Amino acid sequence: MDDPCDEVLVEIERYLDGECTAEAAAVVRAHLEDCSPCVDRADFQRHVRALLAKRCQEPAPAHLVARVRERLQ
Amino acid sequence: MSERQEGATAPSGPVRRELADHERRAAFEEEALPHLDSLYSAALRYTRDRTEAEDLVQDAFARAYASYHQYEPGTNLRAWLHRVLHTTYISQWRKAQRRPQEVAADQPSGDGEADDGEFSLFDRVAASTSRPAEAEVLEHLTDQEVQEALHSLPESFRTAVYLADVEGFRYAEIAEIMGTPVGTVMSRLHRGRQRLQRALWEYARRRGLLAEAPPDEADDAHAGAPTPDRAGTAQEQVRHG
Repeated sequence: MDDPCDEVLVEIERYLDGECTAEAAAVVRAHLEDCSPCVDRADFQRHVRALLAKRCQEPAPAHLVARVRERLQ
Repeated sequence: MSERQEGATAPSGPVRRELADHERRAAFEEEALPHLDSLYSAALRYTRDRTEAEDLVQDAFARAYASYHQYEPGTNLRAWLHRVLHTTYISQWRKAQRRPQEVAADQPSGDGEADDGEFSLFDRVAASTSRPAEAEVLEHLTDQEVQEALHSLPESFRTAVYLADVEGFRYAEIAEIMGTPVGTVMSRLHRGRQRLQRALWEYARRRGLLAEAPPDEADDAHAGAPTPDRAGTAQEQVRHG
């Protein structure tokens, strides 16, 4: 892996979090346009996050709503 | 409320006292209760137990209702509720549960040092599958396995990763919720995600989802990976990074 990729990979986490500066985001975006290995890595990271979001959410049981309501006075 | 200045003797009571109780309650129910699922999911990650999660959520909502006057309208209510939940958990629950082994997790010389090297699940998976379908492997993990992988992280890492990746909060919001500087959030997130990837990889490997790649193929795919490994030595490398 050469240097531009390394630099992008350092920044990619923040980029995917939507937390890097506009300048850094532009660099990452430009790099991703013509580096498919980095695109694969970025996609994979996105995928892990989506996996977590999908598997770690659970609706509250119906009786919990009632119990929470009861305690509001 | 500005008509009578009671100065220092003023009760520090709710700003919204002018609302009748039933109005205040209706407002809270309408605005806060829709976030119940979100808080319950988070409580499950904190307590790892349904009954305890329910109790924690009830406590947190009661607490949020009691201090609802402190919520600033126009700011993110869901984030505020998560802060109350986190505070409730830390102040009441964790003490009771006594989990001392998790306390020092993100101290520089804490237990994390040994396995905190950079880890690329992508490289590991790419080396073990012959098809370009790295992400697909993860789909075969069960909900329980993914949750256990998350639960295997030290608490502060787990919370940061959960709040970012599941709840979608910004760094600044996570910092507010956890009561830590943004820099700490970023480092917990990075290290937490690394550890999560290790854990996911471990589950995938144990389940046989990652077939051992032929040596030549593995070497090829490992061009960018820090440490080439074979399935036989993988356990060792997870432990020592």
